[in-house]
Amino acid sequence: MAETFYLKVVASDRQFYEGPCEMITFIGVDGSYGILPHHECMVTPLEAGELTLKINGVKKEAAVGEGFVEILPNQVTVLTDFCEWADEIDVRRAEEAKQRAEERLRQKQSIIEYHSSKAALSRAMARLKVTRKMR
Amino acid sequence: MSNMREIKTRIKSIEDTMKITNAMYLISSTKLKKAKKTLENTEPYFELLQSTIADILEHSTEIPHKYFDKRSDMPEEKRKKGYIIVTGDKGLAGAYNHNVIKLAEQEMKKPGENILFLVGQVGARAFRKMNVHIDTEFLYLAQKPSRYGSRSIAETVLEAFQEKRLDEVYIIYTKMISSVKIEPELIQLLPLKKKRFQELEKKSDIDDYIRILRYSPSPKEVLDKIVPNYVKGLIYGALVEAFAAQTYARMTAMQSATDNAKEMLQDLSLRYNRERQAAITQEITEIAGGANAL
Repeated sequence: MAETFYLKVVASDRQFYEGPCEMITFIGVDGSYGILPHHECMVTPLEAGELTLKINGVKKEAAVGEGFVEILPNQVTVLTDFCEWADEIDVRRAEEAKQRAEERLRQKQSIIEYHSSKAALSRAMARLKVTRKMR
Repeated sequence: MSNMREIKTRIKSIEDTMKITNAMYLISSTKLKKAKKTLENTEPYFELLQSTIADILEHSTEIPHKYFDKRSDMPEEKRKKGYIIVTGDKGLAGAYNHNVIKLAEQEMKKPGENILFLVGQVGARAFRKMNVHIDTEFLYLAQKPSRYGSRSIAETVLEAFQEKRLDEVYIIYTKMISSVKIEPELIQLLPLKKKRFQELEKKSDIDDYIRILRYSPSPKEVLDKIVPNYVKGLIYGALVEAFAAQTYARMTAMQSATDNAKEMLQDLSLRYNRERQAAITQEITEIAGGANAL
């Protein structure tokens, strides 16, 4: 039995996962992070992208939105806007959202609009990336 | 005789009103079930968000950051205060809207310049009549709280705060204290206050030994990202809670209206029957009197 730490993943509309976990990987602002048990205490922002959990030796993938990760001794908390397992994602909706965001990015926008379209695009990409691997 | 007809029309009109209130009661009770479920799903996030941010702030040394900047050099009268006020889209919800508006008015009497961000039609209508500065009206959110909508509110206030168009940001909404008690509440969103978090900290289950947290990549970048996320999450949570409270308020208001209507109907039908009886008795006496006279 591999060593585990206690993981809590909470999305804004549901408690996504709570329990022991062997490893978690996610995308931070400056690249991807992998967290194993006994990691140093740390706080880091979470970018929209893939979240991989290793539970009982099995790797599971999910798509996450923006948020942050708090790492405490043997406890990791992930707080995010949304979190979905790969098989829960509505591919068509994500595809449409991606096209909409790309369309908006092509037009001239204020800086705020630009940022929100960028964020929408990265959310759609996160969902698509996770599902693409599954197929 | 005319009295009888009067009573009858009254009974009819009360019955019609009761139909409406009863239907609204049924609708809001099913809506409440849904709203409560969303609230239950959002609550862990809402609470964990507040306690985690509290925890992060507690264990980090003073970090000068734009979101902590109190701007204490600004005199009290000149401070620009932004209020996000969450009301419903419709009335007929008892004192729900009234309580929120009353609390907002109380706050706005304090010194400083008030700038309003409104959610919900009722609040919008009430504040338009007053002579206040309304910045934005988010009219589509009161019925259907969404992450997208709360994101746009958060972006609006954060931008205004950074450009110093706002010095303080508050949100006024209705909190569900228990499943049968609702109360309007005011939360300060910006600048972040440590004191508010310390009160919450006691409630959090994370043990309180001293840790040194590392911020990756840097404290500034972490806060730059986390604070907007926190504001957005808080607004979303408040909207969800306010919607549940609103539906609850409407349900109880309609229930008591229906009860009242029933009581009135009982009263009126008693009176109607008495009148009818009196009329019949009178007619009989008249006929009997007439027969006797012959």
